[in-house]
Parts: sequence; structure tokens; C-alpha cells
Amino acid sequence: MTDIAIKIENISKTYRGSLVPAVDDITLDIPRGVKYGLLGPNGAGKTTTISILTGLLNYDSGKVFINGMQLEKKYKKIRQQIGLVPQDIALYDTLSARENLRFIAEMYGLKGKELHNRIEECLEMVGLAGNGRKQIRRYSGGMKRRVNLVAGILHRPDILILDEPTTGVDVQSRKMILEFLEEINKQGTTIIYTSHYLEEAEDLCDTIAIIDDGKLIIHGNTREIIKSKEEYTSLESVFLHLTGRKLRD
Amino acid sequence: MRKLFTSIMKEIIVLTRDLGGLLIIFLMPMVLVFVMAMIQDSTFRKMDETQLQVAFINEDRDSVGLAIEEGLNHSDMIILEKEYDNKPLDRESLIRLVGDGTFQIGIIVPAGVSQNLRKKAMYLVEKAFEDEEYPVVMVETEPSLVILYFDPVIKHSFRETVRMALSKLTYGIESQMVFKLFSQKVSELLDTDNSLDYDPSGIIQLEEHNAVNSRTEVIPNSVQHNVPAWAVFAMFFILIPLTANIIKERNNGSMLRIRLMPGSYLVTIFSKIIVYLFISMIQFLLMLLVGILILPLFGLPLLEIGDHIFALIVMIMATGLAATAFGLALGSIFNTPEQAAAFGSVSVIIMAALGGIWVPVFVMPSIMQTISTFSPLNWGLEGFYTIFLRGGGIIGILPQVALLLAFCLVCMIVAFYFLRLKKN
Repeated sequence: MTDIAIKIENISKTYRGSLVPAVDDITLDIPRGVKYGLLGPNGAGKTTTISILTGLLNYDSGKVFINGMQLEKKYKKIRQQIGLVPQDIALYDTLSARENLRFIAEMYGLKGKELHNRIEECLEMVGLAGNGRKQIRRYSGGMKRRVNLVAGILHRPDILILDEPTTGVDVQSRKMILEFLEEINKQGTTIIYTSHYLEEAEDLCDTIAIIDDGKLIIHGNTREIIKSKEEYTSLESVFLHLTGRKLRD
Repeated sequence: MRKLFTSIMKEIIVLTRDLGGLLIIFLMPMVLVFVMAMIQDSTFRKMDETQLQVAFINEDRDSVGLAIEEGLNHSDMIILEKEYDNKPLDRESLIRLVGDGTFQIGIIVPAGVSQNLRKKAMYLVEKAFEDEEYPVVMVETEPSLVILYFDPVIKHSFRETVRMALSKLTYGIESQMVFKLFSQKVSELLDTDNSLDYDPSGIIQLEEHNAVNSRTEVIPNSVQHNVPAWAVFAMFFILIPLTANIIKERNNGSMLRIRLMPGSYLVTIFSKIIVYLFISMIQFLLMLLVGILILPLFGLPLLEIGDHIFALIVMIMATGLAATAFGLALGSIFNTPEQAAAFGSVSVIIMAALGGIWVPVFVMPSIMQTISTFSPLNWGLEGFYTIFLRGGGIIGILPQVALLLAFCLVCMIVAFYFLRLKKN
């Protein structure tokens, strides 16, 4: 297997009816086993990029390779290797956490003891083993986020893509989620992570890319980027220098 | 197959935990059938089997008056009243009571009608056997009138019906009397005791049948109309929980997750179709039970479902598929459950009105009857009419089944087009 988990070559995407590209000629290599932060202001093109990487959105030009396989050609195989944690709580709120996880696991083809063990293991990992029978609608925001998170790793993907996984959760849940991501990364999962919490991204991500107006502005090792200029004191200062202070819609 | 089963089970659990959705799917249509059947019962009876209140005065008290009275008494459509408020009717009260709508029709057989008829008949017979030496002289008589009064608001068809009935009766009486006198005269001339009896019902008899597969012949009663009509309506109304289900799944990202699962996207769509089709079948079954078990308890006619159970199942499935596909299309077109519910419910109500769910097609003006043939709800209703009322089987419902399946196919194409469009 190649050392590059994701290779993006000159991808562009313009939505129907829009004159401005949402993603504009981005080229990027994401090494295997990294914790990769995909950062940018609102409307920068992060979610579009994630949707393209997961094969959920067609793009106009360029090429995408996942684990060395071209996305369009080997999509069936590729999507088994990708886990997605959407920004919204992508769960059925009248099902319990266990029922939700069971549905997702069975749809990924898990069965029998393996299925049962994987669900229990996941609930245990996010501290919800005791609340697994509760319907999701009765959960707090943090609990929902945690179930949403483990729902993305039930099938043990090589690459986990998370779209703002800590939005709206309390400090405890956030800490737990970040520790969880560290843990699965240590086990070999490549993490691709978007967030508006730059401090959190700075702590978690060893590599980052900042995009704005659909264009890649900078990418590389987080620490090296921060040290590259005197005026850069933190990831937030890098971000503001590169994307400006103009409010975004 | 396992994925399909998993997805179906998920849909069933989601649905069974949605109390509002369940009420819309099961309870609301049952209440609708009950209420509408009760409300429309008298209207249907008027169209089908209304009995006319007829005020009757027999001043003649002879053969003509008695024959008319007996004849009208035998009519299913007429209730003959000779009294009002325990007082015998007279001409003045009859005219007043018909005028104020208490009775729809008043009939007076004046005194002497039988006598006059007898004299005229006698004249005709004598004239036929006239001896040149003794010419028969016509005796002056009063005209033989039977007087009718109509409530001004009574429908023309009712006037015609009564007029026809009376004409038939009076012709019969005339013929009978003339024939009898002829017979007596012939017996007298031949010096025999033989006399012939005349049957006023006529020699040529009418043989009546209900024409199967004839659209215009069928006039259902309230239950035969309302049960299938509101069942079809309810089947299409499942689009509200279905569209909400699809849009919520798409908006909260579940559909994204499903699309990432290998081979799960189509399975999820088909599981919805299967579950909602199954629900529509249960809905229909419940409605049939209301028609068979509950409505008769309230004095309404029993629902007759015909003998073609296989055709009925095919018809239910075709209607359910059309309804589910319509919900799927709306769920893929609209972005919020509110938009889909508003458009969906209004469109179903319009299609229901056009399709003869609210008001049966046969009472609509001809232009609306033509337009109604474009409503999928009308195709469903006509199919059930064919099975319930016309005794039609699978061949009889083929046109409706074909139309519903074509509608289903178009909706599916629209649904997949919009789902694909939204992906891009």
C-alpha cells in the first residue's frame, strides 16, 4: 500500500447555477496515518472537498486517488475504506444508539458475534454502554455527537473524515472525542478533520491545509507552518493572516 | 438480501415510533371513511333510491281510481299518502301541501273518470259492431282527466318518472276495459260463455341487466363509494410521513452515510417502497373492515367487495405503488418536510377532488368527467369500482393498473433524476 492515503490532483468543482468555483484547482497529498486538518472560513470549500473525497459529489475536473486507487474506477472498494462523520447528527432519532449502530454495521455487512462485539466496543469507547438502549432524541448534544462519531468507524475504515465533529458539545465531550481520535489514529487510521476551533485543530492535527475561496492557500506540517514566520504565533494567527478578517457568509 | 431486510426493519421501527405518522396513516382515513359515508349516505340514497312522497286523492272510487292507487302503491319509488295530520286530503290541502314542499307530487283522480272511460270504451266496441240500420251515437261525456300537481323544485327526471308510471297505468286500464268489453260483445254475438282475460302488464316484457364494464351504469351507494374512495385518498396521503422520512434522512446526513455504504443506497430506497407499499395494503384492509364491520352497525349498507380477490390485491398494490412513488418523487424534489407536506397534501386534495373521491364522477359536469380521467386517484377508484360494483376481474382492471404503474414509473424517474441532481 502507498504512503499516500489521499492524493488530489487539480480538482475543481463549480455547482450548477454558480459562476464561482467551490473548489478551484486543488492539488494535495495526505500521507497515511496523519491527523490532517482541513481548515478554512465559512464557504471556503471544505465540505465540498470532503464530499468529493467520499465520492458523494461529482467534480468537474482533476483526479482523486484513495489508497492508490482512482476514485471513480474503484469506488466500490474505496468506500469500504472510508468512514464519514458528517457535520449533522446523521442518526435516526427515534432509534436507540444500539439500533442505529446495528443498522449501520449491518449495512456495512457485519454480522453475528463480530457485529455485536463491534457495537459494544464502540459504545464503550465513547462512554455510552450504559445508555445504549435510549432513543437518540433523549440524548444530550454531546452524547449524540459521540454516537455520530463511532457510527463512522464501525466498519474500521483506513481513513476517517470528520466534518466539524465537536460543534456544539460541552468541554467533557469535546475532550473525549479528541482523545478518541488520537487513539484510533495511533491504531493506524488516517484522520481528516475540519473544524472552526483552531486551537483544537492545532492540538490535534500534525498536518494542515488552509483553503479559502476554493483555493489551497497553504499546507504542510502544523508546527513548521506556525514557525515559518515571526508574526505567526498560533494556528489562529496563521489563519487570520492568510484568510483575512473580512466576515464570511 | 440481508441489507434489504435490515433496511426494512429500520424503516418499520422508525415508522412505529412516529405516533403522528401512524395517526395520519391509519386512524385519519378510518375516521374519514366513517364520517364521509355517514354524511353522504342520504345524498347517495337520493341519487339511487329516493322515494317520492305523493299526495293522492281518489274521488273516482271506481276501477280507474283503484287501479291507479294499487299501481302506485306497488312502485318502490312512491309513497302514497291519502291523509295528512290524520285528516283525509282534499283538493285544497293537496295543492297547498305540494306547493309548500311537504309532498313532491299530488295526484287527483276526479270522480266519474271510470264511468267516462267505460262509456267511451263501450262506444268504441259498439261502433266496431255497428249495424247500419242502427247507428251508434256517441254519448257526451266529460274528458277523463287525472290531475297532477308538482312541487316546483322537483327534478325533471322525477316528474318524468311519475308521468310515465301514470301513463302506463292508465293505458293499461283503458286497454283492459276495451278488451273486456270486446270480449263480452264477441261472446254475446257467438252465444258462448267464453271470455278472455287481458293482462295489462303487456305481452312484450322487458328483461333488465346491469351492464358489466359500463362506466355510466354504476351508481354506488355511500359505502361502496366512500370506502374505496377514501382508502385511495389515504394511500396517497402516506406521502406526508414518507416525504418527511426521506427529507429528514437527507438533511441530517443519514443519506450521505448510507450512500457511502457499499450497495446500500438503492436498497434503502427499495426498502422504503416495500414498507410503504405494505402499509398501504394494511390501510386498505382496515378500510374494508370499517365498511364490512363498522358502517353496517350505524345503519349504512354493507360493503360488497365482489368475488375477485386476486384482482383486488393487484389493484391495491398498483395504487399503493403509485402513491409510494409519488411520495418518493416529492421527497426528492423538495428540501424541507414542510414544503413537501404542503405541496403533497394540496396536490392530493386536488387530485382527489378531480378524481371523484369527494364527489362521485357521475354527478360531475361532462368536462369535469373528462378531466377526472387524468387523476391517478380516479384510476384507483375506477379500478375498485370495477371490482366492487361491476363484478370485473383482472382483465377489467388492466387499464387502471397500467395507468397507475405508468404513473409510478414516471414518479420513480423523477425521483432518481432529482436525487442525482441534488448529488451534483
